[in-house]
Amino acid sequence: MDFFSPVIAGFGVVFQPENLIYCLLGVTLGMLVGVLPGLGPAATIAVLLPITYTIEPTAAIIMLAGIFYGAQYGGTITSVLLRLPGEASSVVTAIDGHEMAKQGRAGSALGIAAIGSFIGGTVSILALTFVAPLVAGAALDFGPAEYTALALLGIMMVATLGTGAPVKSILMATLGLLLATIGQDPLAGTSRLTFGSDQLLDGIDFVIVAMGLFGVGEILYNLESLRRKTPPPTPVGSVYPSRAEIKESKGAISRGSLLGFLLGILPGGGATMSSMVAYAVERKVTKQPAKFGKGAIQGVAGPETANNAAATSSFIPLLTLGIPANATMAVMFGALLLQGITPGPLLVQEKPDLFWGVINSMYVGNLLLLVMSLPLIGLFVRILKIRPAILAPLTILITMIGVYTVRGNVFDMYLMIGLGVLGYLMKKVGFEPGPLVLAFVLGSILESSFRRSMRIFDGQLTGFLTQPIAAVLLGALLLILVGPPVIRALRSRAT
Amino acid sequence: MTADDAQRTEISGIRPEPVGGDDPPAPPSASYARRQNLLAAAIPLVIGVIAGIMSWQLGVGGLADPGPGLWPLTVSVAMVVVAVVLLFQSRPTGGEEAFTKEARLVVVAVVSLVGYALLFETAGFEIPTVALLVLWLKVLGRESWWMTVSVALGTTAALYLMFVIGLGVSLPHRLSF
Repeated sequence: MDFFSPVIAGFGVVFQPENLIYCLLGVTLGMLVGVLPGLGPAATIAVLLPITYTIEPTAAIIMLAGIFYGAQYGGTITSVLLRLPGEASSVVTAIDGHEMAKQGRAGSALGIAAIGSFIGGTVSILALTFVAPLVAGAALDFGPAEYTALALLGIMMVATLGTGAPVKSILMATLGLLLATIGQDPLAGTSRLTFGSDQLLDGIDFVIVAMGLFGVGEILYNLESLRRKTPPPTPVGSVYPSRAEIKESKGAISRGSLLGFLLGILPGGGATMSSMVAYAVERKVTKQPAKFGKGAIQGVAGPETANNAAATSSFIPLLTLGIPANATMAVMFGALLLQGITPGPLLVQEKPDLFWGVINSMYVGNLLLLVMSLPLIGLFVRILKIRPAILAPLTILITMIGVYTVRGNVFDMYLMIGLGVLGYLMKKVGFEPGPLVLAFVLGSILESSFRRSMRIFDGQLTGFLTQPIAAVLLGALLLILVGPPVIRALRSRAT
Repeated sequence: MTADDAQRTEISGIRPEPVGGDDPPAPPSASYARRQNLLAAAIPLVIGVIAGIMSWQLGVGGLADPGPGLWPLTVSVAMVVVAVVLLFQSRPTGGEEAFTKEARLVVVAVVSLVGYALLFETAGFEIPTVALLVLWLKVLGRESWWMTVSVALGTTAALYLMFVIGLGVSLPHRLSF
């Protein structure tokens, strides 16, 4: 029972009234940002970072986690009703979901998505409960060489598997690494690339990078469509799917749960990719492929289950290895650091209350979201009527004032605006901000573990190959870098 | 998440149709996108070269005994190499967007934010906040005056309550209760 006692104690943490309230607040906010096109969960969490400062760590992380998985539920609504995905992870849901809505089955689509999300999320938490301590246990032996390889692999996977063009994403990752070197040398204390500015001596705070690129950048980008009108949502109808529809979706939901859980753990995987793969899988296994694209309920159930399962399992690499697997987790990493918590293999032993409190809060959160997505769905559909022209200035002000409160320094405001402009320009030219932010976060881990490895290996780069785990990880890295171009070359020769 | 992200997202042959409001932005011409990409590669290239030189001057040391400049130099070199690759692979990747007249809204917004930061500490947060809200709601968002004034005042009061009273952070402010 040794294994289960901290898990059960975690429920005690969840049911403290304060934590329950923050859980409710988090999932409600998550539903809202999911419903409102524009700000994604990464941006929302980034914008709220300064506010979480003042909250107790467990409650703060419970709330931020709620925003993340809550957005997976909310993102479905606009996908189905408007064909306007609220989140990247609901893009494929729009295909069959909106077709269903046009046939007057919007309610069924939303209902099955909510049920699938709930099952996917819950299965994933259960699996996480068993897998996470194992991963953490294995990672206890990781030295600087393994961390160097892991951080490099994480950055490269996010850059190459993400939605953007790989070369552009890798370029942004190097920029992120470069920005992370600004400030004092972590070992010698020499000031680097600060251009003589005292303000930059401590480096650029991660909060400012995340708020600037995700928050301000997205707000500026969305300003261009501020005056565009959105079509009115289709009527919802009954959200309780029929028995036949549930029977049709059973397979999709079970496949989605498994797929989402597995892909969520991978660096660069996460909710968006798993929803796409789940859709592709459903289209492959179905006996009626002609139905896909014309309102197949499996095309909604599969991806929506998978994205929620993945959202949950992507906490595993963050909480057990201290390596965020995607951009949203990178912001979550920043939130933990702000609270003075360094996530890593020791977290589950040293802070079991926080670890199991956050994990177990997800059961409650998913249950709350199920209620919000079934009986209370009407409330959230009504929120679609709020105009972006009113929301944009509200969010920008919370961001501007928020960044000031971190250090009480106007310089940070200018820095954030600058990064916001960069984020806007990047989006216009087809660059994703995710790899930059992730590389920025991992930059100092990568540098210090690389330098420590070099000291151990006495300056020999080949030293990495003497460590089996590091060597395997670097091999995987090479495969990712070299694999796709080679396959492409072979294919073009074959045709 | 926008219509363009949806267009860009393509895994295993799934490419959702462009979605969105009544006027989705048209993708730019191939030569326009190519010019954008060349510029987007040239700027990091220049930054990488400058950062590389600065890192070199910091002292590189050896691998066994790295100086403060070794790591930034490594990163700068990687950045220059990737930027050069992008220079040669500048064909459109599907994510590029043209700068249309709507980009003017963004310029106005950025200038207003810089102005906000300039006034924030000297004038206190209330006046710039109301001014920014009025500008964004009325000029950028073309809301009615009634909506503009009520949202501007309501939001400023709510932000005051949230930050100054609720969270107890010290903001430069004029009004005290």
